[in-house]
Amino acid sequence: MAVPKLQQLANSVVQGPSLATGAIPTRDWMDIPVAFKAGNYAYPAKKEKVEYLNSQSGLSFPNAREWSPEDEDWKLPAGWQDIILRGLKERLEKFRSLKIFMDCCVRCGACADKCHFFLGTGDPKNMPVLRAELLRSVYRNDFTLAGKILGRMAGAREMTVGVLKEWFMYSYQCTECRRCSVFCPYGIDTAEVTMMIRELLHLVGVGINWILEPVSNSNRTGNHMGLQPHTFKNNVEFLVDDVENLTGVRPNVSFNRKGAEVLFITPSADVFAEPGLYTAMGYLILFEAIGLDYTWSTYASEGGNFGLFTSNETMKKLNAKMYAEAKRLGVKYIIGGECGHMWRVVHQYMDTMNGPADFLEVPKSPITGTVFSNAASTKMVHISEFTADLIKHGKLKLDKSRNSHLKATFHDSCNPARAMGLMDEPRYILDHVVDWVEMPENTIREQTFCCGSGTGLNTDEIMELRMRSGLPRANAVKYVHDKHGVNMLSCVCAIDRATLTSLMNYWNPDVGVCGISELVGNALVLEGETRGELDEGLRTLL
Amino acid sequence: MDLDEAFRNHGDKIVGKWVEYTLATYSSSGFFQRERDPFANPIGGNVREALGKLFPLLVKGAEVSAMVPALEQLVSIRAVQEFTPSQAVAPLNAVKHITREVFAADRERRHFVAELYDFDFAVDLALLTAFDIYMKFRERLYQVRIDEIKSGSHILTDSRCPSKVASEEIQDLRLR
Repeated sequence: MAVPKLQQLANSVVQGPSLATGAIPTRDWMDIPVAFKAGNYAYPAKKEKVEYLNSQSGLSFPNAREWSPEDEDWKLPAGWQDIILRGLKERLEKFRSLKIFMDCCVRCGACADKCHFFLGTGDPKNMPVLRAELLRSVYRNDFTLAGKILGRMAGAREMTVGVLKEWFMYSYQCTECRRCSVFCPYGIDTAEVTMMIRELLHLVGVGINWILEPVSNSNRTGNHMGLQPHTFKNNVEFLVDDVENLTGVRPNVSFNRKGAEVLFITPSADVFAEPGLYTAMGYLILFEAIGLDYTWSTYASEGGNFGLFTSNETMKKLNAKMYAEAKRLGVKYIIGGECGHMWRVVHQYMDTMNGPADFLEVPKSPITGTVFSNAASTKMVHISEFTADLIKHGKLKLDKSRNSHLKATFHDSCNPARAMGLMDEPRYILDHVVDWVEMPENTIREQTFCCGSGTGLNTDEIMELRMRSGLPRANAVKYVHDKHGVNMLSCVCAIDRATLTSLMNYWNPDVGVCGISELVGNALVLEGETRGELDEGLRTLL
Repeated sequence: MDLDEAFRNHGDKIVGKWVEYTLATYSSSGFFQRERDPFANPIGGNVREALGKLFPLLVKGAEVSAMVPALEQLVSIRAVQEFTPSQAVAPLNAVKHITREVFAADRERRHFVAELYDFDFAVDLALLTAFDIYMKFRERLYQVRIDEIKSGSHILTDSRCPSKVASEEIQDLRLR
């Protein structure tokens, strides 16, 4: 009859491999091993990249080798358990926050259903509490009395190869977006737990290429792309040509110019790949409109800092180059472009790693006289803060109708929103340059959903995983697309501009992705311009 | 009392069980079933909405084209999750069995079980369409991957230094 048939059908579905783990979840989570197969892991770092990084001063990346997560043997160094446990001990002593995060979680579950990886996969190990428990269980076993005596009864377990593989799986199914931490009553920053797990994995040579290659490029040439100074300069000059073709005004640019008032730093993707290029054209138009005395640097040619996704030493080193360059050029302060994690590094870590930047001045807008006292220590002001201030003082001539081909919405990029509280400035700008609507309340501002591919997970071999983890964000975009006809998703992050483009191409193909500065560039009326009708703003092909 | 009345009477119950069945294919089905905010729970919300729209179309034997939006809503999600193709679409078939189970439990409407041929046929059509939609979304995914590779962001990795390539090209030109 019907009922047994339904049961049979259910079995045929449920008895297949469960999400991500490749196993049937009928056992305790500690007993479910991870299964790596093509598509559920990012490629390991190339041997030569690890070797190069390990040879650099201030950095340590041991155990360079060829290996694959699908292999049984990961070729870990001799005594690897001791290396991990010593590394954990050292970090527990060095970072008080880690010790607290390990001790104070009461497993209330408030974070459990807040993670986009959990929401898109249903995999319990993507609940932030359980992801942290992967490390916490080892901490209990070796660093707490209860764990030493009671073992598994106290939620403790030994460090084994299986545990290490689980760390690799799930610390790279976390984008360190910190949405979970918003809901934690204790303020546990699970992103920092992920950061620690990744650091520990690097101690035994376990890391992914999509992070370590950009890190190595940044260390070598100053940007993720590995662009050398002349190429970087050429790319910016191409954009200057484009702006001139479109508007009739040729923006004035300079490179490595000593004595400029401002050093401008943005993610290199803005000068290299669509749709970031249009955002960069927006910067050029804005700075030209106000006659800003600024310079680009071909050495500090990257705002992004993949060190944040690697280790604190790497993050410190890559962050330092921006300030070293500001010092060398003798600028007064730095304006930073639309980047995500650059701002988390600057606002949350820079000051104690490389700061305070006493050799710079507190940013003061040369046009409005506004002093950005929020940047008193880091001396770095966000382009959206800077632009919003210009608009507030009526210093920009804006023609909103030039964006009439667009109905926009705004994606709060995780890091600017949750790590630096930048939420109202981009909205204020949008109000003045484009017709736009908000996405649902529990998907914006502090509660914004990640693009699903941050922290170096923007790599094509895990595309399905990225589409799953990006579903909560795409789902909210679809809602405003269907209800309000939204056709443009704006944001203030270069990773977002790349990842949301792919995300929209899958979930909402009618929605494009842009930076806020592109919309500003579209709407800005330049003195002396000979601009014709640009049906698609800066994207118009002439 | 006719079949339409039986569907009207038990429709919500059938859809409810169908949603429950579909969400049970996920490891964390408890949360997916419980949370009703579609933005806090996109999988649960989309499954609930899609199946809720699809059921009346199956009952009235609507054109396949009318079923496509609801099927896309369901299948686009399952096409990127770790299901085999058959697992991705199998929950659609369940509604046949669930309907029989619900009717059979109702003494007054039990006999309608024998009259479900047209309904079963509509489900079969929906299931076949779902396979097409599954493939459409898999192909879209491959296209997204190709577009990303062609967009230049792959140059971050898996490529040589562009400056070096450019200088070699200049060198080649000089040699010619």
